[in-house]
Amino acid sequence: MEIGLTHYLVISAILFSLGLYGIITRKHAIMVLMGLELVLNAANINFIAFARYGGMNIEGHIAAIFVIILAAAEAAIALAIVLNIYQNFRHVNIDEVDDLKG
Amino acid sequence: MMDISDLIKSISLFKPETTLIVTFMLAMILDMAFKKSKNIAGYIAIAGLVIAGIFLFQQTGVNYKAFANLLVIDSFGQFMKFIVLMSSLIIIVFSFFSNELHNAHTKLGEYYTLIIGMTFGMFLLVGSANLIMIYVAIETMSISSYVLAGYTREVKRASEASLKYVIFGAVSSGIMIYGISILFGLTGSLNLFEINQFLSVNNVATLPLLLSGLMILSGFGYKISAVPFHFWTPDVYEGAPVTITAYLSVASKAAGFAVLLRFFKTGLLDSVPGTSEAWQLLGNIDWHYVIAVLAVLTMTLGNLVAVWQTNMKRLLAYSSIAHAGYLLMAVSVMNDNGVSAVLIYFVFYMLMNLGAFFVVQLIANKLDSENIDEYNGLGYRSPVLAVCMTVFLISLAGLPPTSGFIGKLYVFSSVINSGYIWLAIIGVLNSVVSLYYYAKIIRNMYLRDVESAKTKLVFSPVTIAIVLMLAIPSLLFGVYFTPIVEWANYSMNIFVGN
Amino acid sequence: MLGTMNFPILTWITFLPILGILIILLVPSGKDEKGQELSKKIIRWVAVGITFVQLILALVIYLNYNPALAGVNNLKTFQFVEKMSWITATLPMVGNINIEYFMGIDGISVPMILLTAIICFVAVFPSFGIKKAVKGYFAMYLMLDLAMMGVFCALDFFLFYLFWELMLLPMYFLIGVWGGPRKEYAAIKFFIYTLVGSVFMLLVMIGLYHSTGSFNIIEMMNAANFRGDSIFGGLNTTIRYVAFMGLFIGFAIKVPLFPFHTWLPDAHVEAPTPISVILAGVLLKMGAYGMIRIAFPIFPDAFGYFQTLIAWLGMVSIVYGALCALGQHKVGKRDFKKLIAYSSVSHMGLVILGLASMRPEGTVGAIFQMFNHGIITAMLFMIVGVIYDRAHTRGLDDFGGLAKKMPIYTGIMAVAFFAAIGLPGMSGFISEVLVFLGAFKSYPVLTIISGLSIILGAAYMLWALQKIFFGVLPEKWQGPWDPTRLIYKTDDVNGLEMVALIPLAFILIFLGVYPNPILNLMTGSVNQFIEIMKPFVYIGGL
Repeated sequence: MEIGLTHYLVISAILFSLGLYGIITRKHAIMVLMGLELVLNAANINFIAFARYGGMNIEGHIAAIFVIILAAAEAAIALAIVLNIYQNFRHVNIDEVDDLKG
Repeated sequence: MMDISDLIKSISLFKPETTLIVTFMLAMILDMAFKKSKNIAGYIAIAGLVIAGIFLFQQTGVNYKAFANLLVIDSFGQFMKFIVLMSSLIIIVFSFFSNELHNAHTKLGEYYTLIIGMTFGMFLLVGSANLIMIYVAIETMSISSYVLAGYTREVKRASEASLKYVIFGAVSSGIMIYGISILFGLTGSLNLFEINQFLSVNNVATLPLLLSGLMILSGFGYKISAVPFHFWTPDVYEGAPVTITAYLSVASKAAGFAVLLRFFKTGLLDSVPGTSEAWQLLGNIDWHYVIAVLAVLTMTLGNLVAVWQTNMKRLLAYSSIAHAGYLLMAVSVMNDNGVSAVLIYFVFYMLMNLGAFFVVQLIANKLDSENIDEYNGLGYRSPVLAVCMTVFLISLAGLPPTSGFIGKLYVFSSVINSGYIWLAIIGVLNSVVSLYYYAKIIRNMYLRDVESAKTKLVFSPVTIAIVLMLAIPSLLFGVYFTPIVEWANYSMNIFVGN
Repeated sequence: MLGTMNFPILTWITFLPILGILIILLVPSGKDEKGQELSKKIIRWVAVGITFVQLILALVIYLNYNPALAGVNNLKTFQFVEKMSWITATLPMVGNINIEYFMGIDGISVPMILLTAIICFVAVFPSFGIKKAVKGYFAMYLMLDLAMMGVFCALDFFLFYLFWELMLLPMYFLIGVWGGPRKEYAAIKFFIYTLVGSVFMLLVMIGLYHSTGSFNIIEMMNAANFRGDSIFGGLNTTIRYVAFMGLFIGFAIKVPLFPFHTWLPDAHVEAPTPISVILAGVLLKMGAYGMIRIAFPIFPDAFGYFQTLIAWLGMVSIVYGALCALGQHKVGKRDFKKLIAYSSVSHMGLVILGLASMRPEGTVGAIFQMFNHGIITAMLFMIVGVIYDRAHTRGLDDFGGLAKKMPIYTGIMAVAFFAAIGLPGMSGFISEVLVFLGAFKSYPVLTIISGLSIILGAAYMLWALQKIFFGVLPEKWQGPWDPTRLIYKTDDVNGLEMVALIPLAFILIFLGVYPNPILNLMTGSVNQFIEIMKPFVYIGGL
């Protein structure tokens, strides 16, 4: 069996779902961020797969590179904020960071 | 593809953004050089914004697809950029008077620099006509705003706000990029113009298109805090410094609405020239109803939950969700009338919402609290401030003779004109509900603690002057709004090529 | 004729209060006790002056008004017209948005303007009793005055709506800040109720604008101005019925018509005396005026469809109001103000019944009843105010035998009560007879039921009169009201109160004997109004 576009799309869909699942269920901030990376990588796989199999232009590759760069930037900021949370709350459990309510 | 003359023209039209980048760097460098001056970066930022505004003004009447269709320069974008620019300017001025910022940091260099960075991101977002460009722009403004939301980082609730902001923001932009990747697979392009052309010629499967559209909407919905992407809004608005809350509620929302409108008009709707009637839809999906349902959910939830709030920032957060709902109503009609209503609404929304937040900031400076009960008897403790606050609140509630009423008038007008009577009725009922909680603040200011011996609150003449500068136009535009309407009508044509 | 001269008298009479507000805001509040007293005094007399000038202007309008020119749907026969472009902007699809500053009056608005001027003038005097935040009070008072006057003068729907809404905020503050114990509740209830009505009005206004391309009320009355394909184009369409109901409910809340009346007793009971006077005297009239000016002639077909329902609502209001007023006789809870508030519901129901009859005499009677009711309830509320100021209670059970203690007061009160009952020789009699004459021809059964409720009216009014003035004076009121004789030198009404009450009593008696000065004003316009409605409505006895 030849590996085709569908396989990649299925993989990316699974990755996306796993990522969302992780974001929703995990309490640890770092784990949530890891779930997020899965979502972004699912998108990346889509971009590359479409570019490769869909007979499409180079745009897909460029998009993937942009996503990687921005994911890195976002992760840096997010980790800094999580660090700050740790300094204020002495833990990084998202469910317990809930001073703001109403 | 890109040739050299296009590049040169593009760069010359990129002057406002370039100015912002230069300002960004200058502010950073000079802030380090002049260690003693606290607000030096702020002054530079103001100067930069003014210059960018001048360059922006020079683009009047230009319609151009710059950088090989990456960015669009058009009058619609110009209008929205002016809204963003004005609010950045006003927010920087507000920040000079913010106690919470000045107590948290000895220097505010980074703060002003980040505001400029965010402004830059929003400028890009307003003009982008390429999905990756949209993603990059959203990230540019988001990353700055995550930091700004938690800028007073020693404050517990500010760090919580920024955590919630970054998590929700990153997730929704992640979902958005996944949606973009699907749309890319469906149409073979990331460029909105090409997507449009592809869709108008080929038939694509409805379900993936709807799915990808909804995923992309989640990214925009997050920026404009539409239900169900609004969960971050109350917490972030309450936790962030007041200035940033105000900024997010106006500028960020303006950029979000700009990209939403452009995405629909340029990407998903048939743009045969001369059809200023309703835009035709592509891909067999009735986006009218998707947006209309979002609008109903957004304003109803915003208004109903706002009724119970006791923290001013939180109350205004829900009120800003409700206002996003009103604006979505105008978007849902998907024609040029709706666009012009959005533009008109934004001018007035900027004035009244920023004004209300500034009053909240001033009160918080004095009383160190944002509780609604602290406003008891304000009408007698600081008459001018209370009168201005009343003007802002009445305007937010949309009662004449204030500018907020004119905004609502145009929104409802566009909705009724397109025949969505049911939507208009839900809209006006919502504005009745909204009156209840705005009136609650007015009640506290004038009806409570009338005879109490509380001391007068004295504010510096400069701050009072700033409040007046927002309150007087809020009133005046309510009885004479021709210039704004004319400007909006001039600007409502989103450039779609051809 | 002033109307042909260039003096914009309607602008003056409407916006004169702005001048008053500016002066009042500029009056320094005074440093010491004495200065503050002086400043309060100046503010009060500025308000008296402004409203007095307004009254003079209203009389000038009245004297120069030519009853031969009918108005209603004919722009040429409107008088004192001021028309200029206000807001113009180009809009896609709809063409130009064109809002005009357009004022003018006809036989229907002149009595209302006269009424507004009279009530606003006399209500200033009971306002002298306001002690706290005098400056704010009179600024709000004058703003309310402005908005009310504007509503009766405006002929552009947008302008009308602006004035209509402008009234809300001052009223909210006037009840909310200077009101009784449950003022917050009453104020917000008033605010929300009225707003619910007016937002529907807003939607209909926008729809009408898109249908006719103009905010001009007079042009909206002409079916030819509606574009065929627009929302309100055509006749007898469902959407027109819905729109009419939207407008009707908006105005009915203000009237207030059963079942939209529940805000009224609360607002009346909590409002300070002068505001009750204005509320009953002028504000309620705006609802009925809006129906005559806007809802009925713009949607005559829809009115025809709902005519019987409206007549029923009028009848139910009459009976229900009267019964509720009677119900105020539960021992211990008898509130004088509530009694009058419910009698207002009843009397305004009469107006609606008269309008629903669509007969000339019924309609003339209805408008005359609006005028009379304005004067009568204004008097009644001031009368309540007089004893409330002295005794600090409004409970009917707390009084008795006041006739001996306050003879002049008893006389004035008797005039007002008899006018309210509709005793012949009083103006109320004339308007009630006219309404019943008209209504009987169109809706005989409803009219008979309503007529019976007059007996109820007589019952509660006479009962209250008897309770307060006859019988035994309670022990606690045996002595003088004010033993120090500093505030009240005599036990009877004082000069200031007489200034307000005597002219009103005079008007009631004068118009009862000779009603032509008011009736003549409106006959022409009412006939014209009936002409518009005739093709669409049921008119009995023709």
